[in-house]
Amino acid sequence: MDWTYGELDHAVAEGYGKVHARVWAGIGSCGTWWTGPQRVAIVAHVRGARNCELCQRRRSEVSPEALPGDHVGGNTQAELLSAGAIEAVHRITTDPGRLTRAFVQATCADIGEEAYVELAALVATAVAIDGFAEALGADLRALPQPGVGEPSCRRPDGMGDVGAFVSQAIDKRLANVSRAASLVPDTAALWQEVVSQHYSRGAEFAEAVWQRPLSRPQVEVVAATVSQLNQCFY
Amino acid sequence: MALLRVSGEALGAGIDAQAVADGAGAEAGGALVAFATAAVERGPSLVSARAALREAVGDDALVEAAATVSVFEGLNRIADATGIQLDESLAADTAELRMTLGIDGYAVTEGKVNQAGGTERRAESVLGLFQ
Repeated sequence: MDWTYGELDHAVAEGYGKVHARVWAGIGSCGTWWTGPQRVAIVAHVRGARNCELCQRRRSEVSPEALPGDHVGGNTQAELLSAGAIEAVHRITTDPGRLTRAFVQATCADIGEEAYVELAALVATAVAIDGFAEALGADLRALPQPGVGEPSCRRPDGMGDVGAFVSQAIDKRLANVSRAASLVPDTAALWQEVVSQHYSRGAEFAEAVWQRPLSRPQVEVVAATVSQLNQCFY
Repeated sequence: MALLRVSGEALGAGIDAQAVADGAGAEAGGALVAFATAAVERGPSLVSARAALREAVGDDALVEAAATVSVFEGLNRIADATGIQLDESLAADTAELRMTLGIDGYAVTEGKVNQAGGTERRAESVLGLFQ
């Protein structure tokens, strides 16, 4: 069922609720490298990381590696994820500007490169959907329903080293960011659906002038502000 | 910020991509920046920033601003988590801007700027930024 955001005192274009409901259900489905319950546990840790004491203390350290410890703020599903996976979820959620190639390579060696990329894409998707509700003052929805099944663990063809921290599609068709999670195409498709609804709108992305409630320069001011605050180099 | 520059030039909107913190000259730019900042920081100022933006631009535009904030929260994370490089054209287009604003000094650039990174070359279109 589509989400309506009916708790707000103003309308929200129905496309958002349709996409969010569909993608949220997809997050709970069995993935390519994580089971449905594991993917739901990842989302639970995205939410829990906001109030994780270790994450908060690390923000004031010169380096997050300077302060070892255990993360809190997930839920009873935490045991579904390894310590390395939980560390990755919390780091990507709360301190993305200080992720390093060394950290990513160590995590990939621990949990697997494809599993790491699927995890990162799930974090990004959950952050975007929850962030939309938070920005508008709407309620966060319940965690996705975990689906059944076993991951296929199938790596797509055409992946390789293109200079990023992880393998990506060698075939460059658009912006590098559009192939960031190309190692896990099914989960990347969920993420791309959110990107399209919130921002790029398919072929409209190529147009410098948009006919929307906000002009494109207004949208890009918001985008640049967020990226500066997150110290995102890209 | 390259997209801000290109879209501003297309509209003839007098956009200053180096002045994002002040709204870059965009209509309601100050309210948009305040809302985006409050939403990212998740502080108590979000309520008033949201109300001010709604007053300035209306309900539909507020929703679009929330959509933009939230998707870039995700985009920033997927970009940083996977360590994507700047596209060659984007690196060339933003070389001067990055140097001026100190963006090249962000924590770990680690090879994210390719060989074209130090040579200023302006893109003529949106897609031209990503080649």
